[in-house]
Amino acid sequence: MRIVVTGRRLLLGLAVLGGAGLLLAWSGIVNIGASTGHWQITNWALHWGMRNYVRTYAWFEPEPPADLDAERLVRRAAGHFETGCAFCHGSPLMPTPVEARHMTPPPPRLTGSADKWTPRELSRIVGHGVKYTGMPAWPARGRADEVWAMVGFLRALPQMTPERYRALAFGPAVSGDPVLEACARCHGQDGGAAGGAFPVIGGQSETYLAATLRAFREGRRHGGFMQLAVERLTDEDVSRLARHYAERPGLSDSLPSGTGEAAGIARNGLPQADVPACESCHGASARRNPAIPRLAGQDAGYLAAQLRLMRQKARGGSAHAPIMQKIAERLPEDSLDPLAAFYAGTGR
Amino acid sequence: MGATPDRRRRECSAGLVLGAGFLVSACGGPQSALDPAGEEAAEIAHLFWVMLAGAGLVWALVVGAAVFGGRFQRQPISDRAGLRLILWSGAFAPTLILAGLLIYGLRLMPVLRAAEPALRIEISAEQYWWRITYVGAGDVRIETANELRLPAGRAAELTLDSVDVIHSLWIPSLGGKMDMIPGRTNRLVLRPQRPGTYRGVCAEFCGTAHALMAFPVEVMPPADFDAWLVRQAAPATPGGDEAAFLANGCGGCHTVRGTAATGTIGPDLTHLAGRSSLGAGLMPNTPGNRRRFVADVERLKPGVRMPSFGMLAPAELDAILAYMESLR
Repeated sequence: MRIVVTGRRLLLGLAVLGGAGLLLAWSGIVNIGASTGHWQITNWALHWGMRNYVRTYAWFEPEPPADLDAERLVRRAAGHFETGCAFCHGSPLMPTPVEARHMTPPPPRLTGSADKWTPRELSRIVGHGVKYTGMPAWPARGRADEVWAMVGFLRALPQMTPERYRALAFGPAVSGDPVLEACARCHGQDGGAAGGAFPVIGGQSETYLAATLRAFREGRRHGGFMQLAVERLTDEDVSRLARHYAERPGLSDSLPSGTGEAAGIARNGLPQADVPACESCHGASARRNPAIPRLAGQDAGYLAAQLRLMRQKARGGSAHAPIMQKIAERLPEDSLDPLAAFYAGTGR
Repeated sequence: MGATPDRRRRECSAGLVLGAGFLVSACGGPQSALDPAGEEAAEIAHLFWVMLAGAGLVWALVVGAAVFGGRFQRQPISDRAGLRLILWSGAFAPTLILAGLLIYGLRLMPVLRAAEPALRIEISAEQYWWRITYVGAGDVRIETANELRLPAGRAAELTLDSVDVIHSLWIPSLGGKMDMIPGRTNRLVLRPQRPGTYRGVCAEFCGTAHALMAFPVEVMPPADFDAWLVRQAAPATPGGDEAAFLANGCGGCHTVRGTAATGTIGPDLTHLAGRSSLGAGLMPNTPGNRRRFVADVERLKPGVRMPSFGMLAPAELDAILAYMESLR
């Protein structure tokens, strides 16, 4: 017997197939429990699709920064890796935790990921996550700089000894104050820059620190590291931490010495570009508004990065941040690094 | 179909009266070229009326000729008469009329470019406000903003330029408009006659808040003007506490002469509370409006260069506003 395929029969066949599919989904027979894992072929097909996606979309990622493997980037991301990644992926101190081993698909160990993926592929995965796997996207979409720090860390991970990992990801023990201990893992007890890995927060204005912590907690300031770190802080925690770091030595509001172009902008602004003097808000004038941060002694890399984030409208911040954002947009690009160096005290 | 001819006529005349009312209402007020308060504006208004009368006459003649040709002149005129008509009313008459009006118009030019008056005022336009500097004898410079005061009966020379885009200054009650072009200084001489409050505007689209870029013009009796200028020249005598004003960086952009606030980016605020309007003619200069302006300027004036300060604690804002109130 011969079956002649006509358009009508084809349509009918497709409709029956679609109906059967719907019936199957509706019946709930398909087992999507994680307990049984995938079939080999499903596993292969899903990974094949995922690798293809990463390869293709990595083309649209920007070029990695020149200092991708710098120690300060590794250091910057280490604490976050311990808090936000290790509980699924494990770490040099810890095999993949038992809960993660029971996920489908199980999260891979990342000790070899830098060999498998190029920096731009890693940036794509870290920045955007992967659907259907439990891998989240980076919490702050505009913070490519944070994603690159994490990529730098992943590239250093294969060679990392447990001792080095412990030194990078855990700070000093703080007896009796687990909240401060969590902060100190990156910022130390004194809130220093740790070689450019972190902003100096020691000596910062208490009001500004508290406003910044609240802005991170409420998502008004954008940063994957800090948003995760402060998510569960109570208002009392915020006040206590702000006071702790404000009382440490570090930043000041005295004008650094210097005579270059940046010093001129700090003192007098760029009136022709409608840029007021930095000192008119940040300096030790009659009574600086404590909601405005101190700059003198800040890490240069951090300051320059914040100015650039403000120009891209990617930083967010406390309620006062829109003032600076407006001014940052008017600063000439080539003045950002000299200004940052001037306030860091490393400028000429 | 429903309306009777009578009713229709009534409606029509009512509409005409209403329309004429609107038209006439635009002829007076603080911003009307048809209600001149200065010599230049009077010349321009005169020119306008003469031009209008001339145009009306020409219009009446043309329409009259058409009606005559269509209604009364049933016989075709000869070729010769037709040619002569075209030559006289199509070539000679327009040339004569236009030449007459042109000569009449050009006659005004020397009047509008008078010799150096004693009072010189530099006006610099910026998005979206006016920096106004009175230059007195011995090059004494008195800077203010967003309010122009002129002595009645005396000539004043305005030198006009811009720091960003092309603006144009127009005070219809006092004179014609003059462009303000970056990198070029234009002169405008005004001789206001009638004391009163008038309104100047930016008359060249300059950006998002162009329509919100105006300023009040106060023409004063000369003695009052001199006294006012002496008061303007004096430094501020703030009664309030300047700490909040300085602590929040206001002095980075604004000058209050005689204090630590020496910014040159925004308007000089030395005698702010003595001005009648706020934000370049945006609204009356009342304490409530000043609060709205400081807290929410970006919403009130789209594209403004100043940030809004609505995030300040109420007590902080109160202190700043009390200080501003004292800048008389």
